[in-house]
Amino acid sequence: MLAYLDPGTGSMLVQLIVGGLAAAGVAVKLYWRRLTNVFRFRKDDDRRLPSAESDQDG
Amino acid sequence: MAPRGPDLAAERSVEPGSFRDPDSRVLVSPDGVFRVLSAAAMEDWTALEASRLWQDLQADGRVVATERAELDAVPDLLATEPAGVLRHERVPFVSYPYEWPFSMLKDAALLQLELTRRALAEELTLKDASPYNVQWRGAAPVFIDVGSFERLRPGEPWAGYRQFCMLYLYPLMLQAYKDLPFHAALRGSLDGIPPGQARAVLSGSGDRFRKGVLANVVLHARMEDRYAGVEGRQVKQEMRRAGFNTALLDATMGKLERVVRGLEWKAGETAWTGYGEDNSYDADAAARKAAFVREACARRRSGLAWDVGCNDGAYARIAAEHADVVVALDADHATVEKLYRRLRDEGRTDVLPLVMSVTDPSPDLGWRGRERASLERRGTPDLALCLAVVHHVCITGNVPVRELLDWLRSLDATVVVEFPDRSDPMVQRLLSGKRDGANPDYDRAAFERALEERFAVDRSAAVSATRTLYEARPRA
Repeated sequence: MLAYLDPGTGSMLVQLIVGGLAAAGVAVKLYWRRLTNVFRFRKDDDRRLPSAESDQDG
Repeated sequence: MAPRGPDLAAERSVEPGSFRDPDSRVLVSPDGVFRVLSAAAMEDWTALEASRLWQDLQADGRVVATERAELDAVPDLLATEPAGVLRHERVPFVSYPYEWPFSMLKDAALLQLELTRRALAEELTLKDASPYNVQWRGAAPVFIDVGSFERLRPGEPWAGYRQFCMLYLYPLMLQAYKDLPFHAALRGSLDGIPPGQARAVLSGSGDRFRKGVLANVVLHARMEDRYAGVEGRQVKQEMRRAGFNTALLDATMGKLERVVRGLEWKAGETAWTGYGEDNSYDADAAARKAAFVREACARRRSGLAWDVGCNDGAYARIAAEHADVVVALDADHATVEKLYRRLRDEGRTDVLPLVMSVTDPSPDLGWRGRERASLERRGTPDLALCLAVVHHVCITGNVPVRELLDWLRSLDATVVVEFPDRSDPMVQRLLSGKRDGANPDYDRAAFERALEERFAVDRSAAVSATRTLYEARPRA
């Protein structure tokens, strides 16, 4: 089920900072995965590029 | 067995402010307040109803009294087939956050956080965080949106965080940190203050290191800009994979709770906050005035009474001796703040203090102008007190005396009005900045004529050499 509110992407991520020390581990892990390109946030714009990966999994 | 309800299929009974959540719609009828639930919402309700939390919340009155109900005809209001109906207790008088003083918004914020954290402990949560879901029994907050409770999806961040910031946290910060009243901002935008706007006000070097600002305002706004194009679903998924869990959610809310608790507004001593103790009355005049008001209030019991220009609430308290609920209105924020704190500390549930100017009362707002109702559309009083207020409206506000009386007549209520003569020291002070002869219609004889045209005056009495009280019933 989808929430009727859009929680906002930035508003979700900033909770890792608001959460303080307790959330720091998760923040670091998320950041590390991004850095090492294991994971990269896909922008909506990417969908329009012919080379963009399929969004079937989303 | 659940009581049979009336047929609410009529479109007119739909509460127009309830459309935002597609799984739950509210109907209002003389028989009560009903909530129509979708199948998904019904499952959430069933989970809530079975929880210990629900028993506790019903017992302590933090959430509006609710029971299952049945309707003869459930109106087709949802995008999906309705699956059930709840019946709610009616709150005495609906009010909105842009009418609350600072501490009412703060107490509502703390209730919102408390409920959400208590829900987490039972694998439930609240899907949003809106002060419009909080109403008041006098000075006691009550959460009214049972449809906000849903089953927790572990590992997801708090969906209501952004809304909490925009409608609770930023308005409170503006008042506490910048002495900037939040009412105009909340009245001007029902969604509240976006992070970028809050940052524009709070990112100065003196403010950004105040408690809660750096993370909730500055970084929040920056991350909102930076990740605007990123898919929310993907972020949720990755946060869960990185280990975000319910304990972190609770920690986040705990931090927010401490930030909110730390916000204090030093309500400045405005011209009005000391008025009750230090006005132009002597003790005898004050006693005569109180006796006159008490006699008028005691004549019959009122369902709803208004005290327009309530100041320290002394007369609202007298009205409350003979009314179910008194709405105490004053344009001065600091005065209403003080009154609320006092009423709250006394545990009063019969006087609702609101920040409201007679010359600029809350209008109809939101989608089609029907989402939030004007003051008068929420219920007009049986009795209205207008004490020490006519001169402010008519001289400072330049409202013609006849127009003020037209408005009072439109309430269709018994009124107790005080008229200070032109020679009254307070009136003289209000006129002192104006040219000679300003507001020529402000005159006792003209006031009395205009009052008699619209009302049957039952009684009048001089409270001092320059002030007269009138008790009057509307003419047919």
